Amino acid sequence: MERSELESRIKKVICQVLDISEDMIAMDNHFVFDLGAESTQSVELVAAFEAEFDIEMDDDSALAVDTVGGAVEYIGKYV
Amino acid sequence: MSTTSSQAPQSGTPEKHALDGIFSPQSVAVLGVTPTPGTVPYDIFHNILSSGYRGTVYPVAPGKRSICAVKAYRYVLDIEDEVDQAVIVYPANVVERALEQCGRKGIKSVIVISAGFREVGPEGIKREQRIKDICKEYGISMVGPNCLGVINTDPKVQLNASFARKMPAAGRIAFLSQSGALCTAVLDYAREKAIGFSKFVSFGNKAGVTEIELFDYLHKDPATDIILLYLEELRDGRGLMEAARRVTRGEHAKPILAIKSGRTPQGADAASSHTGSLAGEDAVCDAVFREAGIIRVSSIEQMFNSAVMYTYQPMPSNDRLAIVTNAGGPGVMATDAAVGCGLSIPRFAQSTTEKLKQALPDTANVKNPVDVIGDARADRYDAALEAVLEDPNVDQALVILTPQSMTDIEAIAEGICRVHENAKKPIACSFMGASDVQPGIQLLQQSHIPHYILPEWACEAMSDIQKIRHWRQQSIDEPKRMPVDKATAERIIYAAEPGYLNEDEALDVMKAYGLPVPEHRLAKSVDEAVAAAEQIGYPAVLRVVSHQIIHKSEVKGVALDLPDANAVSQAYETMLKNVAKMAPDATIDGILVRGMIPTGYEIILGGKRDPVFGPTIMFGLGGIYVALFKDVTFALAPMDEGTADRMIHQVKACDLLEGARGGACANIDSVRDCLVRVGQLISDFDRIGELDVNPLIAGPAKIGNMVADVRIRITE
Repeated sequence: MERSELESRIKKVICQVLDISEDMIAMDNHFVFDLGAESTQSVELVAAFEAEFDIEMDDDSALAVDTVGGAVEYIGKYV
Repeated sequence: MSTTSSQAPQSGTPEKHALDGIFSPQSVAVLGVTPTPGTVPYDIFHNILSSGYRGTVYPVAPGKRSICAVKAYRYVLDIEDEVDQAVIVYPANVVERALEQCGRKGIKSVIVISAGFREVGPEGIKREQRIKDICKEYGISMVGPNCLGVINTDPKVQLNASFARKMPAAGRIAFLSQSGALCTAVLDYAREKAIGFSKFVSFGNKAGVTEIELFDYLHKDPATDIILLYLEELRDGRGLMEAARRVTRGEHAKPILAIKSGRTPQGADAASSHTGSLAGEDAVCDAVFREAGIIRVSSIEQMFNSAVMYTYQPMPSNDRLAIVTNAGGPGVMATDAAVGCGLSIPRFAQSTTEKLKQALPDTANVKNPVDVIGDARADRYDAALEAVLEDPNVDQALVILTPQSMTDIEAIAEGICRVHENAKKPIACSFMGASDVQPGIQLLQQSHIPHYILPEWACEAMSDIQKIRHWRQQSIDEPKRMPVDKATAERIIYAAEPGYLNEDEALDVMKAYGLPVPEHRLAKSVDEAVAAAEQIGYPAVLRVVSHQIIHKSEVKGVALDLPDANAVSQAYETMLKNVAKMAPDATIDGILVRGMIPTGYEIILGGKRDPVFGPTIMFGLGGIYVALFKDVTFALAPMDEGTADRMIHQVKACDLLEGARGGACANIDSVRDCLVRVGQLISDFDRIGELDVNPLIAGPAKIGNMVADVRIRITE
């Protein structure tokens, strides 16, 4: 998958789960500090990424990813 | 610490203080607010809004337009106005980023609620250090992390920056706690008892603001009369002592009552795992609190019982208590309790007895404790209470009521309230029971008359007030410096390798500091030993000297009461053989020769460099009784003579020294002198890790003392 497509789909998922607009999101954004994710939403994000990309991630390591760019790198290994 | 640049609301504090921004901010930003009720971030923001806060509050909630209809900001840096205080509720891993932004925004007062710092282990300790560094860089005063928050009930501020369920009532008591969870329980307890607070602070891991800065702030806070403290961990024992002395003495003295948990080794372990605490040695803590004027209490109940007594009632001039009761048994119990905790039960003046006889039936007891008899109604209570309060031999009164069928509880309570209005002496009540007496208790509490379910609790509270009174009267002098030969001690101590000094060296150090040591010589041959004994005189004592031998008796390295040169010669040879056999690896540096020490009371003077308190001194019954009876007490070194004197009088063995049961009196002046000198010694030399003068033989007054054995452990 092209990186640009991966980034775009990841941003779309983040927007849906956190209920924010896409123009808020930058690659170096922290899910909690910059995008306002609550602890339960971190779990929702992992589930939504798995559904979006039809993958199954290791929960502990997936939850340790705390930035948008980190999520792109991490999910990129699965797709 | 820095002061806030903004104009803080008039919280009642007359002069600017570094913590004004914590207690009386004009504006507060809450960083990390979420829109989900029932979560800490939401509840804190909601509490500030709903507590009636007089300033402006800004929610920082990335991705949210508003929280509770208040415009939200993505970052604290986006807020256009100046912000006095930030409350950070983000998860621990982003607190640094939030704090950094607070620093850039110019916010000087921050409360970090978030957990996940030193209390969780090595990673948390590093994280905590990083936020401390940020605070230092930007001059931020920080409360927390890992705390419940801060409450100021001042009507001009009305700030509840905490996740406590409700804002407490305004009152004159400040409560400080290292445990956040305890705070919520205390708030609930206080509400039930109609107790109000001036300030309420949970300071958690105390990475920034500690109890010491809080003492200083509250000392100057006109809304606070008394400070209550719950502490799990002490880090700066001397700082605490100095700050507490400033608060508890002088013109605007305010008492401090404290619970220091971790009294038992098991409790200390629990404290370690709870807030990452390392509890200091409890006995030392006890002594330091005593010398700092902090009243150490054992329970929340006792803490508030005593605080209410102090806050609502005048200070009694002395310890004499009158008891008025309608039941004999509780009167006797109260008398026992009062005497047990140091109060006295005086005889009434003749005029008082006459008044009581006129007002009470013949069957009543008109002596103290006054029994107004079970069928007493309000008139008898009124008359008895008025009479005893007018008595010149009475300093305070305790009214006990048991609910009998004819007892008019509310009328009696109303009568007590009327008497209380004009009384200049403290009154406490104990309406014993629960349900029937409740309406009376409510009336008493409304009139700010302290009420205790059990009369014993009332006595305990009154006893604590006496401790406060005594402390204010007690003189404290600067530590005394004795004339000593410091150069000689320095030469020995700095030449030594880490480990124990040899006995001859240790005795020389003691001698240099003016302690009475026996005349001694170090002999390296039989001839030298005999010559030394001839010079010193008989009977002689031989003691093996070796860095590797601590317990000389265990290797047969002590020979006593040697009458002549022949005995010294034989003992010398035998000792070398025995020691060579029993401690073959030990290097023998020689044999110490000295005279026999006259008998006397065996006491111990110990010294230790405590990680929390620094140099501390122990005094008590010595010799083999140290471990057996543990009749010892502690104080910080160096010390003044008054402190040394109090140490001597704190141990049970003091009675022996003062000649109990016809025994000889020891020279207590000389013992006090030794204590001050040992305190000076350990304070002067950081290399002394521990020292034990055990025993110091305290001989009869005319003879004085003699160091019989001493060990000094030198550190790196």
